[in-house]
Amino acid sequence: MSAPEVAAASVGRGWLGRKTAAGRLIREPAAILGGFIIFGFVLAALLAPALAPYDPNASDWMAIRQAPSAAHWFGTDDLGRDVLSRVIYGARASLAAGFLSVGIALVIGLPFGMIAGYFGGVADIVISRLTDALLACPFLVLAIALAAFLGPSLQNAMIAIGISAMPVFVRLARGQTLAVRQEDYVSAAWSVGLSHPKILTAYILPNILPPIIVQAALTTAIAVLAEASLAFLGLGQLPPAPSWGSMLDSARQFLVEAPWMAVWPGLAIVVVVIGFNMLGDALNDALNPQD
Amino acid sequence: MRLRRSLFAALAVAPLLALSSAHATTLRVGIQDDPDALDPATSGTYIGRFVFAAMCDKLVDIGQDLSIVPQLAEKWTFADDQKSVVFTLRKGVSFQDGTPFDAAAVKFNIDRMQTMKDSRRKAELAAVASVDVLAPDQVRLNLKEPFAPLLSVLSDRAGMMVSPVAGAKEDFSANPVCVGPYKFVERKSRDLIRLQKDASYWDAARYGYDEVLYSYIPDSTVRLARVRAGDLDIAERIAPTDLKTVRDDKNLKLHSAPGLAVSHLMVKVGEPEKANSPLQKDARLRRAFELSIDRNVINRVAFNGEYTADNQMIPPSDPFYPKSHPAPARDVAAAKKLMAEVGATTVPVEITFENALTDARVAQIVQSMAKEAGFDVKLLPLETATAIQRYLAGNFEMYIGNWSGRADPDPTLYAFFACNGGQNFNKYCNKDLEGVLNAARAEGDIAKRKQLYDKATGIYLADLPTIPIYHPNWFFAARAKVDGVVVYPDGLLRLKGVKPAS
Repeated sequence: MSAPEVAAASVGRGWLGRKTAAGRLIREPAAILGGFIIFGFVLAALLAPALAPYDPNASDWMAIRQAPSAAHWFGTDDLGRDVLSRVIYGARASLAAGFLSVGIALVIGLPFGMIAGYFGGVADIVISRLTDALLACPFLVLAIALAAFLGPSLQNAMIAIGISAMPVFVRLARGQTLAVRQEDYVSAAWSVGLSHPKILTAYILPNILPPIIVQAALTTAIAVLAEASLAFLGLGQLPPAPSWGSMLDSARQFLVEAPWMAVWPGLAIVVVVIGFNMLGDALNDALNPQD
Repeated sequence: MRLRRSLFAALAVAPLLALSSAHATTLRVGIQDDPDALDPATSGTYIGRFVFAAMCDKLVDIGQDLSIVPQLAEKWTFADDQKSVVFTLRKGVSFQDGTPFDAAAVKFNIDRMQTMKDSRRKAELAAVASVDVLAPDQVRLNLKEPFAPLLSVLSDRAGMMVSPVAGAKEDFSANPVCVGPYKFVERKSRDLIRLQKDASYWDAARYGYDEVLYSYIPDSTVRLARVRAGDLDIAERIAPTDLKTVRDDKNLKLHSAPGLAVSHLMVKVGEPEKANSPLQKDARLRRAFELSIDRNVINRVAFNGEYTADNQMIPPSDPFYPKSHPAPARDVAAAKKLMAEVGATTVPVEITFENALTDARVAQIVQSMAKEAGFDVKLLPLETATAIQRYLAGNFEMYIGNWSGRADPDPTLYAFFACNGGQNFNKYCNKDLEGVLNAARAEGDIAKRKQLYDKATGIYLADLPTIPIYHPNWFFAARAKVDGVVVYPDGLLRLKGVKPAS
């Protein structure tokens, strides 16, 4: 067996390994359903202008709090706006908050966690204690405090959620890095004199990714919920732009007379969160077959 | 044997107990806010006044038509120069701790409110120079200058008399003692306040409940649910959108009254050096903004048409309301024409408001309507403390102000439109208007005073430093078995005549 063949075989096995993970994933019914749900909402968010039957902010003063009908499938809200259109446009705020705030949490949390786990010592102590301090505040309380401090807007809500979700990623990345750095291939890389950044990105990162991906999927679900909570408290998307949370807030007063105002955005939140959770669970099973 | 006897005794007593508890009637009232300090001198909230209404009598009260009626003072006479007034006090009245109520107690109270460090009554009583005790039932208030709103001031907290014995103590608000039908029993912060009938009160026979229990329930939907469940007897401030529920429930009765409050779009007009908003610079744009919104639509959409759409700071129910300045109808074309005169096509406006559902709804309706005339309205909802801070600092382009109003027009108009008025945070100043307001203050004749307020209204509606939109009305839901509930324009629950239905 010549050297290139060995390389090819090992790459092939690597690909095969990933393929098996991907293969396991697509055989998982939860993954298919979860993926389908999320794909559907992403599509709705992207194609909102084409899908929504009305301008989500256009009020019809003569049609306030009307029950679902042929003209308004989901009914109208307290200002005479079409609820269906607002739910569709609201997907933009929810998904953007879900993806971007987890992105923020990852971009900040992952490097810090890896640095803490890889170098140990002072870096570990400083980063870990700061993380502990952040973790001491309950997630939503921290997010509300940050959002209130930054002022109400969707962008600030995403930053607040991202920062609040970050400590979990620092912890996870640190723990995984601690485990991986003991591995022989890391010692080998070290001994041939590779630089720390090279070892971190090429040897450690790929090997700690699976649990991080699972965590990211599950955190996205939490972030969507958190965005809805912040919007419900008036700390998210500015009116009149729709957000499921703020729709629920204005529906709160009319639960008896106009339940459709609450039902549809509520249902949307539930379905999206279930979608992300199913996908996260399925990813977990696919990436950790030993479980 | 002994056991049997005590058992027998218990059995004998049980029906008696049941009987007495059936007789002790409690009126359970759901209130939206937790009152601040229960001291008439330092109180600063509507809900504090709401509780005082059962606890502390005033020198004078207001009637349902906002006229001044006797309470602790049986009559009063102004001197010819309007610079002093003699009150004749009700005889045989005592405070809830037994201290007799007399002229010396009145002097003590006015002095206390004028000198106490945290007193919020200082501005209201600023016109009072001194108090003379003429006889045990005769007291004279000497004024620095004629001050027509004085009686109206004394119909609120400034006229509430506290016991000199209790009032001299530091912790008065923990154990308040007044002259009033119900005396203070206990208070659990952010939970409840319990009052008990004072049998020695001068008019005790007309109060039908033995005890009043105020429960703090911030959410109006929850208050309504609890009064529907029979868990409360009265719930104050029911949301206009819930009124149908109350009207449809035969176990409930809806009690309402036109309110004194006003919700208005205050425009920052002063401090031109900091100006960068077009509305600040040109009254024509403010007029255009007013013309672009439809007050009736706001009332119908946000409040089911249950409030009063209006263009003035003083509500139409006020006897001083000038009828000569009706609200202009919506006219987008006229608004656009005014904007063209100024040379503007799109005008940016930022509305700051407290992040509450009501204001958010009004702001969105205004935004959507003003857009049709070419106003590019941005909304800035802020958490209450931050919003109020900006309001006090005058740091806003347009602010949704909610003013509770007063029985007399002076406190409202002077506070908002006098150059140094207490609420003049948009820094509006028009010396002509201030002159008219000062003249009205000094005018004892009601017809002449009315004319002056008519003139003042014309001036501020031309300058338009603020755009009033609506006056909220009061809606209380009560169990049908509670008799005699009457809501006054000040939104306070007076318990005289309130009794369990037989």
